[in-house]
Order: sequence, then C-alpha cells, then structure tokens
Amino acid sequence: MSDVTRRQVLATAATGALALGRPAVLRAQSKEPIHIGTLCPLTGAGGSYGPDMQKAIVAVAERINKAGGIYGRPLVLFHEDDQTNPEAAVRAARKLIDVNKVVSMCSTWASAVTLAVKPVAVEGKVFYLSVSGADAVTEGNHGGYVARTQPNTRLQAQVYAKWVLTRKEVKRVAYMALQTPYAAPFGEMFSGVLKTGGLTISDTLIYEDKKPSYRSEVTRVLATNPDLIMLSCYTPDGTVMAKELYRAGYKGAVLGPAFAVNAKFVEGAGAEVAEGIWAIDPAPSFDAPAYKQFAAAVPQADKNPYAAQSWDHMTLIGLALVAGKGEASGTVIKDNLRTVSNPPGTVVTSWEEGAKLLREGKKINYEGASGSCDFDAQGDILSRPFGAYQVRKGKIEQVSIINP
Amino acid sequence: MTGYLVAIATLVGIRALLALGLNVQWGFTGLVNLGVVAFFGVGAYTAGLLAVAGVALPAAWAAAIVASALAGALLATVALRLREDYLAIVTLGFGEVLRLFLLNEAWLTRGANGITGIPRPLRSWFPAHYDLFYLGLVLGCVALIYLALERLRRSPFGRALRAIREDETVATVAGKNIVRFKVQAFVIGAAVAGLAGILFGHYLAYIEPNMFVPQETLFVWLALILGGSGNNRGAILGAVVLLGLLEGSRFAKDVIPFLTGVRLAAAQQMLVGLLLVVLMIKRPEGLLPERAP
Amino acid sequence: MSAQYLFNGIVTGGILALPAVAFSLLWKLLRFPNFAVSAYLTVGAFAALTANRGLGWPLASAWLGALAVTALVAWLVDRVTFRPMRARRPFSLAIASIGVTFVLENVIRFVWGNDFRAYDVPVTRAMTWAGLRIGREQLDILGVAVALMLLAQIFLTRTRLGIAMRATADNPPLATVKGVPTERVIGLATLGGGALAGGAGVFLGLDTSIDPLLGAGLIISVFAAAILGGIGSAPGALAGALIVGIVEEVGTLVIPPTYKSAIGFFIILVVLLVRPTGLAGART
Repeated sequence: MSDVTRRQVLATAATGALALGRPAVLRAQSKEPIHIGTLCPLTGAGGSYGPDMQKAIVAVAERINKAGGIYGRPLVLFHEDDQTNPEAAVRAARKLIDVNKVVSMCSTWASAVTLAVKPVAVEGKVFYLSVSGADAVTEGNHGGYVARTQPNTRLQAQVYAKWVLTRKEVKRVAYMALQTPYAAPFGEMFSGVLKTGGLTISDTLIYEDKKPSYRSEVTRVLATNPDLIMLSCYTPDGTVMAKELYRAGYKGAVLGPAFAVNAKFVEGAGAEVAEGIWAIDPAPSFDAPAYKQFAAAVPQADKNPYAAQSWDHMTLIGLALVAGKGEASGTVIKDNLRTVSNPPGTVVTSWEEGAKLLREGKKINYEGASGSCDFDAQGDILSRPFGAYQVRKGKIEQVSIINP
Repeated sequence: MTGYLVAIATLVGIRALLALGLNVQWGFTGLVNLGVVAFFGVGAYTAGLLAVAGVALPAAWAAAIVASALAGALLATVALRLREDYLAIVTLGFGEVLRLFLLNEAWLTRGANGITGIPRPLRSWFPAHYDLFYLGLVLGCVALIYLALERLRRSPFGRALRAIREDETVATVAGKNIVRFKVQAFVIGAAVAGLAGILFGHYLAYIEPNMFVPQETLFVWLALILGGSGNNRGAILGAVVLLGLLEGSRFAKDVIPFLTGVRLAAAQQMLVGLLLVVLMIKRPEGLLPERAP
Repeated sequence: MSAQYLFNGIVTGGILALPAVAFSLLWKLLRFPNFAVSAYLTVGAFAALTANRGLGWPLASAWLGALAVTALVAWLVDRVTFRPMRARRPFSLAIASIGVTFVLENVIRFVWGNDFRAYDVPVTRAMTWAGLRIGREQLDILGVAVALMLLAQIFLTRTRLGIAMRATADNPPLATVKGVPTERVIGLATLGGGALAGGAGVFLGLDTSIDPLLGAGLIISVFAAAILGGIGSAPGALAGALIVGIVEEVGTLVIPPTYKSAIGFFIILVVLLVRPTGLAGART
C-alpha cells in the first residue's frame, strides 16, 4: 500500500508541476493532494540554517505520505528560497499562494523576512509558521493565521539573565551582540534584570557582521574586565568572536544562544576554543521522544534548533489538517492548531501517533522536537522550560533546566 | 495565478522606474552611479516614516521625492568632479554608508527592526481588487515618468547631456556649464529612484535596512544594460526581461527536481552574473540600442 | 591599551596590504577598478581549504597551492572577460568585473554551499610582550605579508619584466612602441595580482572564518587602501593598507563598531577630495 501511495505521490507531484495554473486537472483526481509551501532561507544570512530546516520538513512530509497522507490525500511540498531577503521572499510567497495554491507556508527564519511575508499570508488566508523572534512578528490583528515556535525576545532575555544570576562567581557582565532586530531590545531587557540583581554591566557593544577582524571590539570589551561575556550571535560571527576571545587570553565565562553554539560552532572554532562555553535555548530537550525521531531522520541537522522547529511546523500542520478531517485550507489549519498543540489531551510526539488518536476522536497535545509547542491566542509560544548547556570536551552537554 | 502575475508586474514596474532613473544618469549623461539603492532607500524611508507618523500621503510623498533629490544633489556636488572610476567607488560606498545609517540610527529610522504597518494608499476605496489598483498606480507612474523623460531626451537639455557624455571638452567649448548639467541630471535620476522607493515601501507595507543592499543596484544596472542604455524603452524592457528571467527560473526548478536548494540559488545568481559579463562583451548596446532623437 | 589597538591595526593592515597592492597595480595597468579582486580572495581561501581539509595538506603547502590556483583563475578571467574589452571605457570593464565577482562567488557557493568553514589548524593563545597581546598566527601573517611585499617591490624595480610592467602602466602606447610585449606584461601582472589576493584570502580565512562572501566584507577597505596609497604605487598601497587598518581598529574606541565599514568610505572621500593622487602621488 505504502509503495503504491508513494508512486502515486510522485506522479501527482509531477502532474502538479506540469499542470501549473491548471488546477482543474488536479481536481479531477479522486485524492486531491494538499499543497504546502516552504520558505526556508537557502541563501543569504540564514543560508547556514535553511537547508537543514527544509530537509526536516521534507522528512516529516515523506513520513506523512508513507503513512497514507491526510485521509488519503498526499502532501505535495513546493520549495522556495526566501534568500533571507524580504522582497524576494514576498515574490516567492506570492508564487506559492497564487500559483501553487498552498494552504500553509512555513519556516522563514529572519524576522525581517517574516514581517514582510506576514501581510501576504494573512491576506491570502494561508496559515504561516516561522522561527523568527522579533516581537512585531505576532503583534497586531492577523486573524490567527500567524504563529511561531521561537519565544519572543523579552522572554528569552529574562531567562538568560536569570541563569546568569545563579552563577555566584559572576559580578561583571559584558554584552556583545551582532546587529540584528533583537540585539538592542534583548540587551536592554537582559542588562535591566542583571542590574536589578546587583550585577555590573561592564560594556555593551553591538558589532557589524562580516568584518575581517573583531580584534579591537574584543580589546575594548576585555578592557572592562568582565567575568562573563554574553555573546548574542549567530554561528559564523560567533566562532570568529570566540577565537578572538581565546587568542586575547580571556579566561572568563562566555554565554551564547544554543542555536549559535552548536556542533558547527565547535567544529569551526575548534574544541579547545569552544571548551567551557555556555549556551541557553528554549530548547529541545535532547532526550524528548520527538527530538530523537527528528535527529534520527535528519542526522545532519542535529543540534540545529531551527530545523527542530521546522520539524514541528510540518508535524503541527499535518496534525491540524487531520483534525480538520481532511478538509484543506489555511483557515482549517489555524482553527485546529491549538486543538492539536495545547493541553488538554493525550501527549503525542509524532504525526502518526497523533493522527491515529485524532481519527479515533480523541484529544491530543503534541510535544515537539523543539519543545512543548503550546501557543497563546496571539500565536506566541507559551513559556516553557529552557535548557542550559556547556561545551565539554568538544560535545554540547545539557547541564540544567531553567524554568522561566 | 493572476494574483501572482499582478504582484510580479508591480515589482517589475518599480524596477523599471529605477532603471529609468539610472538611464538619465548613465544612459543620457554618462554619469556612473553605483549607489542607486541609496536614493531608492531615502525615498522609501522618508515616505514610510512620515506616513506611519500620520502625515497625509501626498505630503509624505512630496517630502520623500525632495529628500531623494537632495541626497542626489549632495552626492553629486561632492563627487561629480571625480574621474569615473573613482566615482564608481564613491557612489558604491555612499549606498553602503546609507544602509549603515538606516541600521544604526534607530532613533530616526527604527534601526534593524524596520518600519512595519506602512499604510497602503486608498486601501478602503478598493476592498476587493486592491492589488490591481496598486498595479495601475505603479504602471501610471512608469508611464508618466517615461513620457516626461522622453520629452527631456528630445529637449535641448537632453541634447546638452548627450554632448557632455560624448565629449566633455567639446561641450565646454560650446559654452555649456558642465557641472550644473551633470548635477541636474544626477538629481533627476535620484528623484525618480526616490519615487520607486515610495511605491516599494507602500506596496510591501514593511521596509528594513537590509532591503537596500548593493546587489539591488547591480540588478538595476543589469536591467539597463540588458535593455539598452540611453533608450527609455530599453530601460523598461530590461526590467521586464530581468525579473522574467529570475521568476522563470523559479518554475524551471519545479520541473527539474535534482537542482535543489542552495545549488539552485547559486546557479540562478551565476547566470545573472554571466549574463552581465556576456552582455558587456558581446552586446554593450543592449536589446534596444539608443536611437538619435 | 592604545598600543594594543595600534598593533591590531597593523595586523589588519598587513592582511589588507596584499589585495590592496594587487588591486592598485591592476587598476593602473588595466585602467579600471577590478571588483573581482574580492572574489579572488574567496577563491584563494577555498582553494587552500580544499587542499587542507580535502587532501590533508599542511596549511603552508595549502597556502602555496592557493597562490597558484588563484593566479590561474585570475588569468583565465582576464583572458576570457577583460581581454576582449581592453579598448572599452573603464566603467564597462568595472561593471563586467562585478559580473565576474558574482559568477565566482556563486560557483563557490554551488560547490561548497553556504556554510562557513575553518582550516584544520589549532588556535593558539596570544603571547604577552610589554603589555601587548600578540597572536602567533597574526605574527606569521604579518611576516609573510611583509616578505611578499618586499618580493613584489624587488620584482617591480629590479627585474626587466617588472620595469616593463611599470612602463606599460605609466604609458601603454609608448611602452608598445618601445617593444614591450603589452599582453605578456598584463598576463604576468594578473597572475601576480591573483596570487597576492589569493594568499591574503587564506590569511583572512585563518584569522576569521571561510564562507562565499569572505572577500566581499573587505573590499571597501581594500579600495580605500589603494586610493589612499595612490593608484599604481606598491609601497603606497602598503602604507595605505596600514593606515586604513589602524584607523579602523583605533576607531573602535571613538565611533560605534557598527560603523566600521563606513570608515573606509570616509577615507576614500577625504583623499579624493583633498589629494586625489594619494600618498605616493607627488612623485609621479
């Protein structure tokens, strides 16, 4: 059966591609496929995360199709590169919505891209999931068509600060951040909590991406004698900064986001440089069942939390479609999102598990690879445990759980 | 499908305006400007910031065009006496510095967050087919600018610009005030780019600094050289063909499954670069070569 | 403390100097600013990466390999693209060189992807000397850069081909009349310029990390160094690179680091407005 379905899917995918603009041909078939669009950043600043995100989405969609699809309707994915460029992403989103007739789009990364695509998605009544952190992403009236799996900046900054306050040896903290939409608001929130807690902020420095050297930035920050440096970075600039701190003889603590301090980071900076660096994430607990399935299916994306979020995006869309009884539209997905993601309900950790219970008429609560995936009314992820990690002997090990 | 084609046509119209603006500078007058994106950005940001602050749109738009023209005048007065190879570098740098300014002066520009919720003009008048109305607005602007620039091209002023382009010395001997003509041409081009910026910002309803990167300038140049510099119709055609190529490769990908992800994007951009090189070598006059007025 | 910034600047200047000299000489010789120098840096970095990570060569041999590969790539680009356009106005060539940059960057992206990478060499702690932190890699980079600069200078002033090259740069028609084989000289200069840029790309990758946009981040600073030094002057470009490097690093103290890229631009503007011939200009 699964073999037949698979061939069928390939055949429909091919017809779909050739029959662009002629949806009538598709409608004639008994099991009409459901179209989903991906908008991961394959190029531009997000280019080092996007390809794995797309692979995670493909892996989930293949599993869903192998298991018979949504009430027999196969999923067909249409991939577009958002280029980490808002205008290119808008063109791509228009194409996905108007030409490919997708009912849902997922996994843009940069906040700027998500903010540009958002009005297009809302206008087209297409359900839209992203991994972007800027507060504006879920603000305003979007009719529920927008949600994200990345906690907002305020929550993240508070968690980081709270963790720093538990380190009794830390008295002076420096904040170094790559110029991003959240660099400044994160810094204000983070520094505010630490100052209230009685710590000193020794320096705040926002740096430009892609500079040939950060030597003097490091010199300036080290001159203020911090015990801990909060490094708000992405992987590429973070490794350069970590190497520079190491060369400059810095022996204090470094804390970064776990989406930057990952396996690629350790490989790029070298195990010796990365040794002892702390990282925090609204994270997948690596032991969670959904995470293990994700890591087994997309091994190269291991420890890329955005890919884990993409995995959850596709799973959530798939479950919401099942909850909608196979009827496919953006409205059905947004109306059923919280039914499948939030408590109450039996905890499920995969699409197969959830779909089975849903068909039996039971309530479910998906616990994903990136976390518990519970959404508030505005589409923001509800507060959930964060993980603290440390690079030890070249491996990233979880050391504690922080509850906000 | 129509919705998508309307969206693409709108963006083509905006690119065509940029190419028309550059045509006044490079095509008519021979002035190098690798900072097109700066004037595009000044227009978009001035209009966007004022509109969000509640200024009436006509006033905001007028201010935006004036601001782009002023930015053009500023750069032109400082840089136009330089040799063209230096001018290339200075204008390129100007575009980058403007982007850094937009990114870092958050008190004025809202920094890396960008401006969200830029109002869409006359939105409530067209509840059903707003995108069509906006396309009409953009195409109307293109037509208007095209007609105006055609007039300018045939006027004595246009002839003077060409004379400067062909031979500055002769033009000087003929009693032309070269610098004034050059500055005027540069300012007109900057104002047209500013208009394109206004339409861009109100169309997307959101702008942010990294939309205004040097690569955008490169695309405008490519459109103009492809279409035919010196020829206004060429500028428009170039924009159509270029975006057609970029969008067309999108569909090629849906049929050629083995070319995926990063490789596809790389191949696409490789082709853009290759096209530019081949055009420069084989057909520098473009698809529609310049004609005598 | 400020001595530390000065030293940081000298190292940055050392890296900048190689592409700045290449860019400056090629500009003078071919009469257009060759934007593709930025892609040559990236080509060099990736060539060495392939040798180092892929073939397991030690970095020193990988570096030599990168010199050869980049020289060859630069020569091919010149042969295919710029040679048919020699008689055109400078700006047409500059635009073509932007196209070349785009092609090379994306060939690299096509093969290696977008991920950033690093060479297989350990990072070492800096030595402390008289209160100054001096990194070993930085010292190596500086040493090799100075040696290369000396070699280039000796070549240009002491060898027949080098002198012919300068003659061609100063006055191409006259050089042709005097029997200088112009195309051979240009070919040689392109090979040399490519090698210098490729070598610098490896240094940059060693100092930071390697990705397809490696060279793009440096290009305004390279332009600034070449213009400041006076187009066509190798010692001028070296001095220009040191000054740009130092101003960029010391500038961190005075202006927000997010404006680092703007520093190069303002140097260019000021030099062009005040003294368009650059530092070395008075002599020619």
